[in-house]
Amino acid sequence: MATTTRDILLFIPNLIGYVRIVLAIFSAYYMPFDYVKASFCYAISVALDAIDGHAARAFNQGTKFGAMLDQLTDRASTATLVMTLSYFYPKYVFLLQMSLVIDIVSHWMHLHVSIMKGSSHKSMGLDSNPIMKLYYTSRPVLFFMCAGNEVFYSMLYLLYFIEGPIVFGVSILRVFLFVSFPIMAAKTFISLIHLIDASIRLCAIDAEERNKSN
Amino acid sequence: MVTGRDVLLFIPNLIGYARIVFGIASAYYMPNDYVKASFCYATTFVLDEFDGRAARAFNQESKFGAILDLTTDRITSVMMQMMLCVFYPDYVFLFQMSMVIDIGAHWIFMHASTTSGLGHKAMAKETNPILRLYYTSESFLTTLCLGNEFFYSMLYLLHFIEGPVVFGMNILRMFLYLSFPIMATKTAISVMHLVEAVNRLCSIDAADRNKSKS
Repeated sequence: MATTTRDILLFIPNLIGYVRIVLAIFSAYYMPFDYVKASFCYAISVALDAIDGHAARAFNQGTKFGAMLDQLTDRASTATLVMTLSYFYPKYVFLLQMSLVIDIVSHWMHLHVSIMKGSSHKSMGLDSNPIMKLYYTSRPVLFFMCAGNEVFYSMLYLLYFIEGPIVFGVSILRVFLFVSFPIMAAKTFISLIHLIDASIRLCAIDAEERNKSN
Repeated sequence: MVTGRDVLLFIPNLIGYARIVFGIASAYYMPNDYVKASFCYATTFVLDEFDGRAARAFNQESKFGAILDLTTDRITSVMMQMMLCVFYPDYVFLFQMSMVIDIGAHWIFMHASTTSGLGHKAMAKETNPILRLYYTSESFLTTLCLGNEFFYSMLYLLHFIEGPVVFGMNILRMFLYLSFPIMATKTAISVMHLVEAVNRLCSIDAADRNKSKS
């Protein structure tokens, strides 16, 4: 029996994906005023992110649609958080805008270039750079960077409402904020490099196509 | 022989970089200096007219240029919406949803068209009559895009000034009310794009699976 579009839409990892979206929307709704409900929805959405990948592999239901849904939900939920932070910390609107823009555009470019035919991963000798190589190939490193990045924005969010638990005279939330700051900065920098790398690769593809048709 | 570097330096792409610079400058001035911010923001739109024409005039169209154009449009929108979150905090949720729909729809649509190999604008030709109108009628598309931008721009300006009053009517507010239904229509169309793109992507997934089964 042939697989239909409808089948794909109802694949288990994609159903999980829809739940993630609903939770993300609820989280956004509560964000400005109810940090408990907002954090709860946001956290579950992140937890489900870990599960949908496993489900895709377990049920052999990995799809382009699912992968893209996943990415987009990540970007959108980060975006809603950063937008709320603009309202909480208006002095830092410009920095938040730049950070969000870099996040969205770097992922967008990288994704589109990697699915284009004829694209290769080699460019600019970036792969020979040990730090970039680590980021690309080591899942724990990637996870650590992404988590650290999210923790930074989450701490900024929570600290607007509460000081949080104090241990030995130190605010735990603030500790996490300061520790995650360099991780957020590093990830933003790496995103910028990805963006430039993807742009260069795309231009190389464009050039190749022109030469082929001439 | 055309190189990647040549493509990076194509005239329409140079115009694209200028658009980015003006976009960033606009965001920098947005919180306080509405005159400079508006000037820079408007310039990005004027340049948007020229990069397409330049691409055709110099035969310098490229995939890179197309994505550059698309992402620049999206991020100038995002930056404006983030600013509006600060000015109209009661409506943060609506701005978040509007931004997410805008980015999400374009992202998925581009992804689906790249994956299928079909051009971004060629895709809508077949199905939804409203989307077909959107892509075939230049004036419909222009009206919707401009009207959409006007709505947010008016919200922005009205934070700073009441604006000129003519025959007892506040011009800025008038534009705001007139552009509101246009903004709503464009948002609805974005949702249609999203649904269309999801269908396309899932049918590609279904076709892939059926191919590998047979």
